[in-house]
Amino acid sequence: MDYTNQIREIASKLFAEGKIDVFVGYRMTGFDENQVPALIRDPNEVSKLVFTDKSVFNLTNYLKQDHTRNKRIGMVVKGCDSRALNLLLTESQVKRENLHIVGIPCKGVVDENGNKMQNCIECIFPNPVVFDEMVDGTPTGSEAPPYQVNTDIQNIAAMDLVERRAYFEEVFESCIRCNACRHSCPMCYCAKCCIDQETSTLYHGANTTSSAFHALMTWSLHLAGRCVDCRNCEKACPSHLPLHLLHKWNEQVIYENFQEHLAGVHEGDRGAFYKYSMKDPDDFIM
Amino acid sequence: MSVELFVTDKAGLTKFYEAIISKNETYAPVEKFGKYDFKRVSSFDACNPDAPIAQTMSAKPLFFPRSAKIMKYTADHSGTSVKETDEDSLAGKRVILGMKHCDARALQVLDKVYNWDYIDTDYQRRRENTVIISARCDKAETHCFCTSLDYDVEHSDAMDVAIVNGTDGKVFIEARTEKGKVFLKEMNIEQRISNNEFQVTDETAPAAVKQQYEAFAASFRLKMDYTEVNARLSKIFDSPEFENVSANCISCNTCAFVCPTCHCFKISDEKVKDTGVRYKSYDSCNNGYFTLMAGGHNPRPVKYRRWRQRALHKFVYYKERFGENLCVGCGKCTNSCPVNISIFEVVKQVSETVSV
Amino acid sequence: MMCRIDKVIQETPDIRTYRLKFKEEGIMERFNWLPGQFVEFSLLGSGECTFCIASSSTRKESFDCSIKRAGIVTADIHTGLDEGDEVGIRGPYGNWFPLEDLKGKNLLFVGGGIGLAPLRSLIQYCIDNRADYKDFTILYGARTSADLCYKDEIADWRKDPSLKVILTIDKPEETWKENVGVVPKILEEVVKPVVANTKVITCGPPIMIKYTLLSLDKLGFAPKDVITTLEMKMQCGLGKCGRCNIGSTYVCKDGPVFTYEQLKKLPDEF
Repeated sequence: MDYTNQIREIASKLFAEGKIDVFVGYRMTGFDENQVPALIRDPNEVSKLVFTDKSVFNLTNYLKQDHTRNKRIGMVVKGCDSRALNLLLTESQVKRENLHIVGIPCKGVVDENGNKMQNCIECIFPNPVVFDEMVDGTPTGSEAPPYQVNTDIQNIAAMDLVERRAYFEEVFESCIRCNACRHSCPMCYCAKCCIDQETSTLYHGANTTSSAFHALMTWSLHLAGRCVDCRNCEKACPSHLPLHLLHKWNEQVIYENFQEHLAGVHEGDRGAFYKYSMKDPDDFIM
Repeated sequence: MSVELFVTDKAGLTKFYEAIISKNETYAPVEKFGKYDFKRVSSFDACNPDAPIAQTMSAKPLFFPRSAKIMKYTADHSGTSVKETDEDSLAGKRVILGMKHCDARALQVLDKVYNWDYIDTDYQRRRENTVIISARCDKAETHCFCTSLDYDVEHSDAMDVAIVNGTDGKVFIEARTEKGKVFLKEMNIEQRISNNEFQVTDETAPAAVKQQYEAFAASFRLKMDYTEVNARLSKIFDSPEFENVSANCISCNTCAFVCPTCHCFKISDEKVKDTGVRYKSYDSCNNGYFTLMAGGHNPRPVKYRRWRQRALHKFVYYKERFGENLCVGCGKCTNSCPVNISIFEVVKQVSETVSV
Repeated sequence: MMCRIDKVIQETPDIRTYRLKFKEEGIMERFNWLPGQFVEFSLLGSGECTFCIASSSTRKESFDCSIKRAGIVTADIHTGLDEGDEVGIRGPYGNWFPLEDLKGKNLLFVGGGIGLAPLRSLIQYCIDNRADYKDFTILYGARTSADLCYKDEIADWRKDPSLKVILTIDKPEETWKENVGVVPKILEEVVKPVVANTKVITCGPPIMIKYTLLSLDKLGFAPKDVITTLEMKMQCGLGKCGRCNIGSTYVCKDGPVFTYEQLKKLPDEF
């Protein structure tokens, strides 16, 4: 998967037509084979842009930053990124008219060891759900595979509550409370976050397993029905915690109980907790 | 400081490690989710002293815990009482295995701030009670640039005992400090020599160690001249370049939390009913709230200013104040950065915008 | 060290002065501070805050901290603490006003809002060592007349003919008969200080300090004769936590008292 040339062309065109102020894409780090997000403001720097299967980070995270606020933005999105974008649009965090979205028919990205990311293997929306133009012309339009529950979620489900608690305590013990997960999450845009230290009165920021437990659990519940499974959080975690377990678990519960809801797939779909149906089950509520 | 140098092989080293672990409170890199963190170990199989830098957390928390209880208190109608905590990690003698050069060096840098003016006694006690056994790197990793900074990687006495891999499966064991020599004695070095597990080295050994070091130094791709960087950075407080290089930073705190030299902390209280604990936990200047004052005034309200503080604190301010760079070139921040920002690249890029 | 609150004075709607005494006998006698220094004031359960000592060590039966309700801890202090309650105090920390340099000089104090607190410590100290100093002028301003602190004490100062006290508020009020206008303006138009042999000591909100320094420049004061105390977020007070760094300076150790000359050399981050 290499769309470097197409993206450079598109970005140059957008700058030349005066349609955008900033183009958000990827560039090489300059010293290894990894890529860093690039916020290009100077048309002459378009040649720095690249796109390969190393273009991992979900760029919609940058929509909440000073550099992009109230600017006209050109942006590269993969399938999962576009779901996040869709949700941000629905939640009125960005204006559609300020965006020019360049869609990528994604074939999956790879981790630092060159292996295809787990969420890409299981991905059911590789093609963007919202875009202005696709890099290769038209979307492939292939049918999305049916939703399936991951094996690791099945493993968690098989545990009884005591085991499950013990397992997560073990996981959260390694948390260093840097909050990289929250900061890298495109769906987390609250100016004052309830798990973020300093402003928070709930979590005073002491790094204990119990505070990590509570903070991450609260955080994952705030993202229930909104997580798009881009796994920015998991890739950001310096302790490599399997944070997707929390989110995928929520996703599965919501999919099964709330009319097969998946976050950000349909434009204007505000999320599981905004839709009410008499058929909604209540047996999972304590 | 004269150096004691012994030679052994892989098997001898393993036996040596096993003996250390069985006789001492030992901390070493333990793997979890593909990442190594320094933890208490009771058997050699559980740890990996040769864990790669990129996958290993700093050992800093053993000296400056991620969250330390600084006091406990009870406050009810009868009055208030405060007591110091019974923090266990303050306790006795301990040994750290597999600490890398850079990580050990970071402690020497931190000593400067902890020992000026008010002396942090907890930190000092932990320092004094700890024997550091380093595993020296054979080859630079992707983000390493320790040889570019102001310390003598070859002759560093940041660790008490240095382990150096030689050629032909040889392993050199070097006592770098008095503490290290005493420790080797305690670990029955003489008996090991008479068992033939260890051999006393001849005069060719220092040359072999040096050769090993030279091969290591040659493996670095990232190189800079820190004096030049110091000089240039000290002139560019107002450079607009900081805004460009910080544009893709997402203001998480990861770089500071994994950094072996970052030492900013915050103090917070946790109180349930009548009893409470006061914690001292990591904090980061990348955090927007770091300098936000109660009245709403914030001297560093925007990201590039915070980034500038971080870069300049590392390469200018700390140098001015304490005579050292607050960076040891371990590359942990770059390895952990969610968006792959490299401090090396940023510092280089910014400093190249001015002439000396 | 635990202190008991001896007295609470409601200075303005959002500022209270807490008069503190050490719970344990004998500590008060050993607790020595100089004007300009600060303490870490801790309300167990809420956290710690940095406050300057607002009274002088020449009046040593107790010491004062004036606290403006601004953040989480200060709100808890205001709502939770009353006479007889206990608080934790660490300190004193930081440097102090250059008392030796002030000797034999005319002193001009320029304060705004809660910024009078550190000046009050120095004013009290200088009043108690009156013979060492020449003329005193105190210019003090606040947003409204209700926001002026230490009203009773200011009335006492006014009784002293050797002290000149000038008050101002930002906007006119019906019952207000004194100056109206921001502090730098009054400084230039009403006070018109003598520059020769005068030291200026100023403290107030950052914006006031900024413009006051410009005014003083305009009036011809040398930067070395202008002394201010800086506000910076602090937590440990011990030169460790890194919060109060401005460049390589630790405000909690090298400050909070700086001359304008020193400030000019610091990076512009306060």
